[in-house]
Amino acid sequence: MQEITLTQRTKNSFHRWLVPAWIIILILLAVFIPQQVDKQNVWNLFFLICLHISLAQSWNILAGFAGQNSLGHAAFFGIGAWVTRTLWFHGTPFVLAFISGGLAAVVFAMLIGAPTFRLRGAYFAIGTLGVAEVLRITASQNFPLISTMSGSMIATYNLSARYYLALGLAMATTGAAYILLRSPWSLGILAVREDEEAAQATGVHVLRHKLLALSLSSFFAGLAGGVFAFQQISYYPSAPFSPLWTFDSLLITFIGGLGTLAGPLIGAIFFVVVREQLAVNLVEFHQVIFGILFILIVLVFPGGLVEAWERISKSFKRK
Amino acid sequence: MSIESFLQTLVYGVFVGGIYGIAAMGLALVFGVLKMLNIAHGELVMLGGYASFWAFSTLGMDPFASLVIVIPALFIVGLALDRTVYRHIVRLLGEEKIKNSLLVSFGLTLVLQNLAQWLFTADERAIQVAYAGEGLNLMGVTMPYTRLGSLLIALLVTLGLNYFLHHTYPGKAILATAEDFEAAELAGINIHRVYMMTFALGAALASIAGTFVTVTYGLSPSIGIIWTLKALIVIVLAGTGSILGAFPAGILLGIVEAVSGAFIGATYREVIGLVIFLLVLILRPQGLFVGKN
Amino acid sequence: MGKFLGINHLNASYGDLQALWGVSLKINEGEIVALIGPNGAGKTTLLRTIAGLHKPTSGTVQLGDTALHALPAYRIVEQGVILVPEGRKLFGSLSVLDNLELGAYTQRARGVRFKTLQHVFELFPLLAERQKQRANTMSGGQQQMLAIGRALMGLPRLLMLDEPSLGLAPMLVQNIFEIIKLMNERGVTIFLVEQNARQALELAHRAYILEQGKVVGTGTGRELLHNNEVRQAYLGFAPTTG
Repeated sequence: MQEITLTQRTKNSFHRWLVPAWIIILILLAVFIPQQVDKQNVWNLFFLICLHISLAQSWNILAGFAGQNSLGHAAFFGIGAWVTRTLWFHGTPFVLAFISGGLAAVVFAMLIGAPTFRLRGAYFAIGTLGVAEVLRITASQNFPLISTMSGSMIATYNLSARYYLALGLAMATTGAAYILLRSPWSLGILAVREDEEAAQATGVHVLRHKLLALSLSSFFAGLAGGVFAFQQISYYPSAPFSPLWTFDSLLITFIGGLGTLAGPLIGAIFFVVVREQLAVNLVEFHQVIFGILFILIVLVFPGGLVEAWERISKSFKRK
Repeated sequence: MSIESFLQTLVYGVFVGGIYGIAAMGLALVFGVLKMLNIAHGELVMLGGYASFWAFSTLGMDPFASLVIVIPALFIVGLALDRTVYRHIVRLLGEEKIKNSLLVSFGLTLVLQNLAQWLFTADERAIQVAYAGEGLNLMGVTMPYTRLGSLLIALLVTLGLNYFLHHTYPGKAILATAEDFEAAELAGINIHRVYMMTFALGAALASIAGTFVTVTYGLSPSIGIIWTLKALIVIVLAGTGSILGAFPAGILLGIVEAVSGAFIGATYREVIGLVIFLLVLILRPQGLFVGKN
Repeated sequence: MGKFLGINHLNASYGDLQALWGVSLKINEGEIVALIGPNGAGKTTLLRTIAGLHKPTSGTVQLGDTALHALPAYRIVEQGVILVPEGRKLFGSLSVLDNLELGAYTQRARGVRFKTLQHVFELFPLLAERQKQRANTMSGGQQQMLAIGRALMGLPRLLMLDEPSLGLAPMLVQNIFEIIKLMNERGVTIFLVEQNARQALELAHRAYILEQGKVVGTGTGRELLHNNEVRQAYLGFAPTTG
């Protein structure tokens, strides 16, 4: 189990500025590298990383912090994409369509939230998977035709705008997670994760905290869907509902470190970069490798890369 | 809708339900005894299907006859998976065990699905037997030999499994381990051996379902999750404690899907099963067949 | 008569909570040894650890030359160390006959199980009558008999019983203690954990007292029966003045 340190361990003022410095450096790199290099595949790479950060971090809020291992995350991604795309294509200004996508996902989450949270453990997992699959099948049956941008949209397509939107969302999602962890609700949410019954016994309103985590999770996943709908020139409306998006989020969060803020960041970078590399060299095998890696992490290194990093840095400090 | 077409729909529902039932029983065994959820169960169905396809295309074996090869092959795969992966999780307890088994089996789906894709390509495969079009015709209802054969074998396997579990020494040891694994240990039962054998048995059952799937529908590496979900739906309908109850529950699902598909339209046939699943999960989690075993 | 079962400095914990602190005791072949002590003292933990259901953090459990503490539970049963657990833990959905048969699952007991079954039916005619009955439809006393019968099917050399009298009517308790005595006369060594301290001490050759995970006293059954502190703490006697 990952421990969230709510208080900073400060040895001296150098350490206090270390983490924010890293963050600023990362942000600067993220903003300027693609711009400087200005190659399409680099823009796309960075875009994918940011998209996956948002999707994984939003899943992390629900699963890593609140302990609710949902397998239906793609539902929110898909709803956000569909609402955004549909509204935008029908003339709604993009910003409005974008926000609506996120809100639609939250509305849906709140509708199914209360009944599904009555399920525990395995039942919750397969129940959420079932819900997402219902949406996917419904979407594929009702909207089987490919959705393609109009000629004018393609003409005015600005890849960098897409990227900066994705970057902004990735930062916002991580920021939201950070704020949540520093908010008065954090203790309750973490308590629900550790032991629901004990939390209930100490007066924590379990359902409320779960719904709070769920609403944040679904909102940002929905927005991520909106980003996807904004970026894809053409795609099948049922595609963002595919469970593969959920599974990728799981993979990324676990590889990086479930329940940590940096986990989804590190995991997404690792995942996207390695996948792109492997896809070039070993097309069929990259999924196999990720699958094996995932199994190893669950069995041997549940803390993921974040934990591995902490162990390594601790052993250096001892010297 | 005429009586004839209704009966036809019903009969086809039963045929499909038999496959659902066999697939689900394998998962129910694993869940009931090892208390773990194997999301990769559908992948085992898929692999079984490919095994029978390979036997058909390379060795020219009739799919039903190829079961002689397919079942032991997948049994061994099940043994291997338990030995390498699942035995590390089976020692955990309660919530953590289920969570970890979900995660690990999810990793396994990636591995198995893509292994199959590498070995067999993503193309859809099917087995066309010589007697594919032929069948019985009773009261205006056609019953293809392929489907009839699948149902018959499914029934036999279920009866055999019932006999094995309730009337043989190793079978009773499995039931005992499912009920109280510590008491089983105290009786001198090697429960880790039981776990391994049970998992392999589950894989073997999955492979039977896979063979039928290849004959009846068609096969591609990505069908795994569909079958895992079907098996999960059936298990929830039957009640998660019931192993043999999964077979009648599978038949029930097949009938419900077929009949509702005929009335509401094929588009929603897939969704019906899932919706029932969710309703049962939320409203009656102990399943519909409580009391039967 | 050499040491039969030897426990040396056994420590066991549940997570961070230590339940057994350096427990050492021995049981000689052919004896009836009782273990008494207050609730929560760790008696059940000790039996479960010997039986292999729980791994000790340190210390040894030896049966003659064989180290039991390193073996999995089913191996320990093969060695002839069989536990009748607290709460019986029967296979409720299976029949009486199935439960008994499963008790003989080890290689050693399996071959002769039909003969052993006859012996068990002689001891417990009630079980013979209800062979086909589902175990969880029987009364507490009947279930206790079945639990003991199941253990006997494994051909125990050392039979351990955890609170066999719990929740049973006095006459049944008497019956069970008689059977324990009978088994002992037939050569089975007995390790008995009992709340009913008096009967346990009357029956036992020797006994140990376990409090808060530590062995705090030992002696013959008779010695402890007449020991003032034991009488006050466990036999319900009022403190004597003077």
